[in-house]
Amino acid sequence: MKKSICYWLALIIGLTILFGCDAKSNIIKLGVAGPLTGEQAKMGTDVFNGVTLAVEEWNSKGGVLGKKILIVARDDMAQEHQAQSVAKELAGEGVIGVVGHFNSGCTIPASVVYHDSNIPMITPSSTNPYVTDRNFANVFRVCGRDDQQGKVAAEFAVNTLKVKQVAILHDKTQYGQGLADEFKKHLGANAEVVYYGGFPKEELNFKPIITVVKEANPELWFFGGIYNQAGPMVVQAHEAGLNAVFMSGDGVIDPVFLKVAGPAANGSYLTFSRDPEAIPSAKSFLDKYHQRYGLHGPYSIYAYDAANIILSAIQAAGTTDGTKVAEQIRKTVYDGAIGKIQFDSKGDLASSYYIMWVVKDGKFVTVESK
Amino acid sequence: MLQHLVNGLIQGGIYALIALGYTMVYGILGMINFAHGEIYMIGAYLSIIALAVITALSPPLAGLPILCLFVALIISVLFASAHGFTVERVAYRRLRDAPVLSALISAIGMSTFLQNYIMVAQGKENKAFPAYFKEPLISHPFIVAGARITMLEIVIIISCILIMLGLHLFISRTKVGRAMRATAQDKKMASLVGIDINKIISLTFIIGSGLAAAGGLMVSMYISTTRFDVGYLAGIKAFTAAVLGGIGNIPGAMLGGFLLGIVETLGIAYISPDYKEVYAFIILMIVLVVRPTGLLGERMAEKT
Repeated sequence: MKKSICYWLALIIGLTILFGCDAKSNIIKLGVAGPLTGEQAKMGTDVFNGVTLAVEEWNSKGGVLGKKILIVARDDMAQEHQAQSVAKELAGEGVIGVVGHFNSGCTIPASVVYHDSNIPMITPSSTNPYVTDRNFANVFRVCGRDDQQGKVAAEFAVNTLKVKQVAILHDKTQYGQGLADEFKKHLGANAEVVYYGGFPKEELNFKPIITVVKEANPELWFFGGIYNQAGPMVVQAHEAGLNAVFMSGDGVIDPVFLKVAGPAANGSYLTFSRDPEAIPSAKSFLDKYHQRYGLHGPYSIYAYDAANIILSAIQAAGTTDGTKVAEQIRKTVYDGAIGKIQFDSKGDLASSYYIMWVVKDGKFVTVESK
Repeated sequence: MLQHLVNGLIQGGIYALIALGYTMVYGILGMINFAHGEIYMIGAYLSIIALAVITALSPPLAGLPILCLFVALIISVLFASAHGFTVERVAYRRLRDAPVLSALISAIGMSTFLQNYIMVAQGKENKAFPAYFKEPLISHPFIVAGARITMLEIVIIISCILIMLGLHLFISRTKVGRAMRATAQDKKMASLVGIDINKIISLTFIIGSGLAAAGGLMVSMYISTTRFDVGYLAGIKAFTAAVLGGIGNIPGAMLGGFLLGIVETLGIAYISPDYKEVYAFIILMIVLVVRPTGLLGERMAEKT
């Protein structure tokens, strides 16, 4: 009985390999993985659409290495265990590269599979430091890292706002405290931290802590945490007469923050990714995207660039061998729609992904456009 | 220092208002009404909704923010009392003679239900308290000894104290109050002398819920926001305050509430905010070791 199952399995595996070989002779398969159904379906679809546009452009130019490109999309439902089996499926399909996954929690287990199968992957959106901290040669991302934000914020505070005294608060979560600590680290000796403290992430009455911060008399106060707390915090600080500049990270960029904080939010500085609308090289992509799919998602353009990077690396390397393609990706500077893209030795973006945004008249705008 | 004390008094006053509801129910039924924190949260939501409805229905009335706040307070107290009444009727009355644990589980279930029902109906996000209505109360702060004290803060502290005094007088001086004390002492005897104990118990829930709703309105105004899960932590703290003062004891709940609020705020100010939740419970442990029945002892009937 057991033996017959083995035969069947061998046959199935053999057939898969046969199909794989067959496919390789005519076309090249590019994998896309992300949540295509469920709560985050929109995000996954944004990514898929971005990749589709890139692949169509390549195919209309004759494909890569003289072969047409076929997109193989798989749905990981934003679930970790699903991500791993989806990754195995894609590896079985013989894809030459993967754009994905979307969530850090999915990317981390899936990347192990791609690493074992020697398939280059670029995630458009997973920001957890661990994704690239394992130094896998085949793993890249075209988005920022959670720990880069603190650096951008600190440099802005010191170089542009020229503050000397800073208070730092955080919500004691991995994200919030991590961000606050990075900010503190990068302030270095350039500014004095006059107050540093955390509180539970459920807290909504900040008056006691704001009173303490006010007594420390900072020029700027930084908060590592999310909009749910930042909103009431900013209003209460305003009422308590704390006039220091408020600064925080991408967790605060949310309409609810503006709604709760009201006019008190104006002048708050927040780190977030660049605004594609303001980048000239992104225009042709955005136009095409809007025409076909409607409004672009925050990560569509990164998915588009990620697909282009993999395909042009294959073209330049002249092979679909995973190791060589990954080497090629690592050593080239790309002219992406989002701007120049270059990877460091870990597979992170060499230049910073985050820029400073500010709240002006109840809207988030980038500091440059201000 | 003064500013910290004011912060502490406000926090403490709110804890005390919620603690009264716990302590009254415990005094009469001998059970912990864990759904009480949710009633406080519902009170906060009701006041925000009431203000939105007033603004939408009657723009001229909205020109008088203070009056609107009063109307919102009344609406919020009425509806929250109705919630409290219903909770008792649905979840506790039939379990009155059941083992204590059954009523406790029922209370926890009610708490979870109310919290989730607000989450589904009102969303998981913060609800903003309309800034317009509190503007007149905060626009001209008094500067006293370096502290910046707004009218709103004074109003909250004074309202808390007035409400508590009123409740104390109501229970110790009126006929209904006497009936409540009698029910707390011995339900069977009370019913034998002609007290409708069902009505008295319902009344206890109604008053407790009304107080919590008033607290909800004041807090959401003070911190400019509310969320579906604020009731849980506030409930735990208020319960702690009630135990600290001696559960079942009304002046004890007030004392416990104020003490807790002030200790917490001073702890944040002079030690570290990281241990905010620790200060309250350290005080609780010390008090319970020294005086196991709380600062002022148990049982409202014997005390008042």
